[in-house]
Amino acid sequence: MRIASGGKSDVGRVRSNNEDCYRILGELNLFILSDGMGGEAHGEIASALAVETVVKHCLEAESNPVAPFFGETQAKWNSRTKRLSSAVYLANKKVFESAEQHPEQRGMGATLTAAWIDHDQLSIAHVGDSRAYLLRHGNLQQLTSDHSLVAEQVRRGMLTPAEAEKSDMQSVLLRALGAQQKVEIDAEEQPLFAGDLLLLCSDGLTRMVAEAEIASALESESDPEKAAEKLVALANASGGADNVTVIVARLGPVSKSWFSWLGLGTRKHSNGNGTAGGK
Amino acid sequence: MAKLSLMFEDKLVKEVPIGGRPVGIGRSPDNDIPVDNLAVSNYHARVYFEAGRLVVEDLDSLNGTFVNDLRVERATLHDGDKIHIGKHHIKVDATGDAPFPVDSGRKATAPRINETMVLDTKVRREMLQQAAAMGESMQFASNRMKVPTLVVLGGKTDQREYVLTNRLTVIGKSVMATVRMKGWFKPQMAAQINQRDDGYYIGPGDKIPTVNGAPIPGPVKLNDGDLIEVSGVRMNFIFRE
Repeated sequence: MRIASGGKSDVGRVRSNNEDCYRILGELNLFILSDGMGGEAHGEIASALAVETVVKHCLEAESNPVAPFFGETQAKWNSRTKRLSSAVYLANKKVFESAEQHPEQRGMGATLTAAWIDHDQLSIAHVGDSRAYLLRHGNLQQLTSDHSLVAEQVRRGMLTPAEAEKSDMQSVLLRALGAQQKVEIDAEEQPLFAGDLLLLCSDGLTRMVAEAEIASALESESDPEKAAEKLVALANASGGADNVTVIVARLGPVSKSWFSWLGLGTRKHSNGNGTAGGK
Repeated sequence: MAKLSLMFEDKLVKEVPIGGRPVGIGRSPDNDIPVDNLAVSNYHARVYFEAGRLVVEDLDSLNGTFVNDLRVERATLHDGDKIHIGKHHIKVDATGDAPFPVDSGRKATAPRINETMVLDTKVRREMLQQAAAMGESMQFASNRMKVPTLVVLGGKTDQREYVLTNRLTVIGKSVMATVRMKGWFKPQMAAQINQRDDGYYIGPGDKIPTVNGAPIPGPVKLNDGDLIEVSGVRMNFIFRE
């Protein structure tokens, strides 16, 4: 399946530095997004370190088919899902160890949401509150559960989603990279259909822009790069209270004629090295 | 720019803008806001910006710092708040530039958490206690754990019953569908069910399903016992005990 992708990261309207970080590896159809936290510039260090660790581990595994897996993996997962989970495990270790070795980095951490598309299979691994969505037939469907206090309260029926959106505690995470030596990772697989659209985003988008608005913006813009820019602009127009980062990947539409097979060999992707860092 | 106005009764005594440096309040004349009153400690309190929030901190004063009549050690300030120190009060004006959401109706009882944080140190302990308490209530609930299930009432599918275990359940003829429809002219993806934090939502696919006889306008939350019909397949959504 042909995949076009694009990403955009912005500091927002209030913060002075961008602690978000993302990478798009178009040749692998691998998408990684991280939202760092921790005072001074350490949130940036944490998110960049997390993203780089995932990229490095996945690239190494591509050239070494017998590369070992780290952390807990489930036998039913495909190799991409196992690899992503393994990469997130290592990313947590790296961030944690860096904070241990550098006292000034203490308390830094990061979310991480990574997606890997292999033909019609989507693998997702994540920790934190950066989300993955699938837009299909106009429905924006959340593929990840936020590891935040308010989301947990919603799952347990203690808060309604509307109450959670107004809560003062939205920024409190129950899980993040770097907080502890080991972290519990959520990983999942989903079958993909022609025309599906994958969205990865930091909470700077989802807290500022309603899902219906996100869905219609994605529907109205077919170019992933421009769609990502549009979502960032929407978040900023609504106040831009936080850094906002968006990755959009669109699977090719259903082939209507056999002539379209001729185009299958080409794969469009942007150069997505969005290492944002207050620049 | 945000500013503090020192008031004695209804009279304005002094106005001080708040910038990058903390504003000191106390009886000693070297404070940014000197308050000449014996009930006020030499270095009584200070006000400063921290992570986009305006914060007042009591400096172990003898008679205390009060925000909206509540004694505080440290509190986030909001536009319109009043800090009482001795017989004076200080009005908080955060309207000029508010790097934080101005929420004037609030009382400064707890600091607002704007910065993302992982549970750490003191907050972590508190939150973990809260989470543990939630865990207990969860155990209580798990005695009656309910499993979301689709029971096929009519139409051709590969199974009669499906337990919804994935975040996305596709209903259709596709080989990748969880609920696989059989027969000619069935849509690849007739409908889809998304598990969200607060429950299960059915949304359209190639077709628009009906729930309890009514076509859905968009994603609709499913309730125990709902009847779903799409492309000639009728199903019952139930939570199995």
